[in-house]
Order: sequence, then structure tokens, then C-alpha cells
Amino acid sequence: MNFNHSNLFINSPLEQFEVTSLLGFNAPILGYMSFTLTNLGLYSALIFTVILGLHYMGNNDKKLLPSKWSIALETLFASINSIVRDQIGKEIYLPFIYSLFFFILIANLIGNIPYTYTITTSIIVSIGLSFTILIGVTILGLSIHKIHFFSFFIPSGTPLALVPLLVLIELISYLARAFSLGIRLFANVVAGHTLLKILSTFLYQMFSGGLIIFIVTLLPFALFLAITGLELAVSFIQTYVFVLLVCSYIKDAIELH
Amino acid sequence: MASRIVVNTLRASARPRALPTVTRAVNARAMSSSNPPPSERASEIINNLPSSQNLVTKTGTVILGTGLLATAISQELYVLNEETVVAAGTFILLAFLAKLIREPYKEWADGHIQRIWGVLESSRAEHTQTVKDRINSVEQMKDVVSLTEGLFALSKETAKLESEAFVQQQKVALASEVKAVLDSWVRFEQQAKESEQTELAKSVIDKVLSSIKDEKTQKEILANAVAEVEQLVKNKAI
Repeated sequence: MNFNHSNLFINSPLEQFEVTSLLGFNAPILGYMSFTLTNLGLYSALIFTVILGLHYMGNNDKKLLPSKWSIALETLFASINSIVRDQIGKEIYLPFIYSLFFFILIANLIGNIPYTYTITTSIIVSIGLSFTILIGVTILGLSIHKIHFFSFFIPSGTPLALVPLLVLIELISYLARAFSLGIRLFANVVAGHTLLKILSTFLYQMFSGGLIIFIVTLLPFALFLAITGLELAVSFIQTYVFVLLVCSYIKDAIELH
Repeated sequence: MASRIVVNTLRASARPRALPTVTRAVNARAMSSSNPPPSERASEIINNLPSSQNLVTKTGTVILGTGLLATAISQELYVLNEETVVAAGTFILLAFLAKLIREPYKEWADGHIQRIWGVLESSRAEHTQTVKDRINSVEQMKDVVSLTEGLFALSKETAKLESEAFVQQQKVALASEVKAVLDSWVRFEQQAKESEQTELAKSVIDKVLSSIKDEKTQKEILANAVAEVEQLVKNKAI
């Protein structure tokens, strides 16, 4: 009876992505400022702590012989290093790419734990991250190539008559990167979490339907497990794709095609 | 009736064949190494429960766990909802992945650690060997210092002797030079003396000759000679 009563109240699958205030206060500073710790802020701090902790454990007390943790970390470092060397060719960008990789990966993985919040499902985080990166990459390109950076918007061998049109198209395509990079990550993670939420809602209804239905529901539950595994894989794949694209954008800014 | 007979016949013919098949299947399942017998499987699950090895405490853990869960749910300390399904799914998946990955990762990591350990160990052994070789090579040259010191003393003495010899040579050279100069002086003096004597003799002879030519002198000489002869005669010398 209790179950049926609770089943009447179904939450929206998108409710999990809401940024909610956990605690806050209004201070009479600079007018009336509201200082609030949201779930987004809390999980950002948690991600930071986890990354620091992971690297502290991976540091292996500065011993020469690696531990199992440090080997895993070294392998990840070597993978990211090879991505940076293959894509950009300059290791000066490795710290940035490495930090970015770990931030997104840990954010996605923490989001896969039940009852938690995924900060990459916040559009302000994803788009903010991609916008910041694109602005940084543009500043990098301008600082390296000065005015010649704008030749990036004119493909070589373009007839003069088509230049205004192509510049417009290239500019839009360049600016679209800022959106596409963030939206790709955001959409994939949101879609996966929403799917899991919807499926789990259905499965919960079925599991609470009686013993026989409970046993029958184990079959779609196996499918649900596979989708959970896929979500786990998406966390890695989207991080890899994000980092790879940032590398290619940096390369574009450095080499101008 | 006919159909009943047919069915009975079929049942009878099927029964003896089906039984051994089932028995074989059960035996095969029991003997299979990949599928442990249910009793072992059950004891394995019981052993996995977090408490001491005693069966009573295991039972207590199960009862306590179930009771706590029932209390948590009934008191709405824990609310069963769709997130529970996600939690269960995630837990099962992570447990499965951990079980799947643990052993291969452990093997790979151990191999990697062993490889690094081997490299470090071999380089340490190489270094030790190199140091030993160096010690041996240095040991062969242990007399080098005393030998060098002896050689140095010898060379110092040689240099001292050479310098003394040079001084002596210089002295000899100087003495011979002085002697040559003095000899030349002596020769010169001798020649000068000889020439003076010759001159003197010549002047004496000339003077004597010139004096002899003088008659007075001749008379005097003659008188002297006569006087001497007379003297001799007087002395009865002749």
C-alpha cells in the first residue's frame, strides 16, 4: 500500500539536473549579496578533493618503485601525453590538457554514482568551459600570429568574390565550436542520466508489482545494467573526445590550418 | 483407448532413457570444475559475510542486517524509490567490473612493477660491479704513489747533479779560458823576453864589435891578454 501511495508521486527525470541551494546567507556587503553553497559548488569542491587525493595516492610517497595506484596514474598520464604530442606536438599544453581531462573524467564518474549530482550536466559548466577554452585559444592564436590570425577564416585558394561569404561561414563555424564542444558533453551526459532515470522509474514500478513480475523484471534489469555500463563508457569517451577536440583547436590556433 | 496405449507406451519408452540423461547431467554439473557444488557455493557466500568465522555470528550479521534494513525502510530512514534501482544496478556493475578487472590488472601491474624492479636491480648490480672493478683496478696501482715519490726524488737528485755538473763544467770552462789567456800571456812575455835578449845580445855584440874596432880597446885587450899570459907563465901554468 505504501508503495502504491508513493508511486503516485513521480518526479521529472530532469529534476536531477537542477542546481539547488544547500546552504546560504545574505550579507550586507556591496548592496545585498547572497552567498550560497549549491550542489554544483559542493560537487566541484568534491571533484577537486578527489583529484587531489587520487594524485596524492598516485604520488606513492615519492618511492622509486611504483605502486598499483601510481601505475594507473602513470598510464593515464602517458596516454594524455601521447594525445598532446600527436595532436599539438608541444608538451607545453600538457598540464592544461591533463587538468582538463581529469576534471571532466572525475566529474562524469562521480555523476555515475547514485544519489549524486553531475556537474557536467549543468549547461553553465559545460558551455562555460568550452567558451572559456575557445576564448583562450583565440587569444593564443592572436598573440602568436597577430593580424595574420584572421587568415584562418579564409581558406587557401578562395576566389576574391567568395571571400566575404566564406569568411562569414568560417566565422560562424569557428564560433559554433564554442557551443558544439560544450553541448556535446552536456547532451551526452544528460541523455544518459535521463535514460537511466526513466528506465529506473519503470523498473521500480515493475519490481514493486509482485514476486512473479519481480522475477520477470530481472531480464530488463540486465539490460539496464548494460546501459549503466554504457554510461560508464560514455564518461570516458566524452572526456577523451572533449580533450581531443581542445587539442585540435589549440593546434589550429598555433598552425593556422 | 488406442491413444491411451500409445501414450503409456511412449511414457514407458521415454522413462528409462530420460532418467540416465538427467543423472548424467547432474553428475556432470557436480563434477564440473567451473561450477562448484551448491553446498560450496553457499558456504562461500556465508564466509563472505562480514564477521568472524563462527556460524552464530554469521547468522547474527544476517539477522542484524535484515533487521536494520527493515527498520530503515519502515521508519522511512531509507526510502525505496527508482534511485534504489540505479544504486543496485551500479553496485552490481561495479562489483562485476571490479571482479573482472582486478586479477588481470593485478597481474599486469605486478609484471610492470617487477620489470621496473628488475631494471633497478640490474642497474644496481651493474653499478656495484663497476665500483668493484674500479676498486680492483685502483688496487693494482696501489704502489703508484710510493713509486712516483721515488721517481720524483730521483729526478730531483738528477736535476741537482745536473746543475752541479753544469756548474763544474762552467768552472772548468772558465779555468781553461783563464789558462789559455795566461798561456798566451806567458807566450807573449817569453817572446818579448826573447826578442829583448836578442836585441840585448845584438847590441852587446855590436857594442863589443864596435869597441873591438877601436884601437885603444884593442891595445887594452891585447895588453890584458899579454898580462894574463905572463901571469900564466909566471905561475907556471903553461
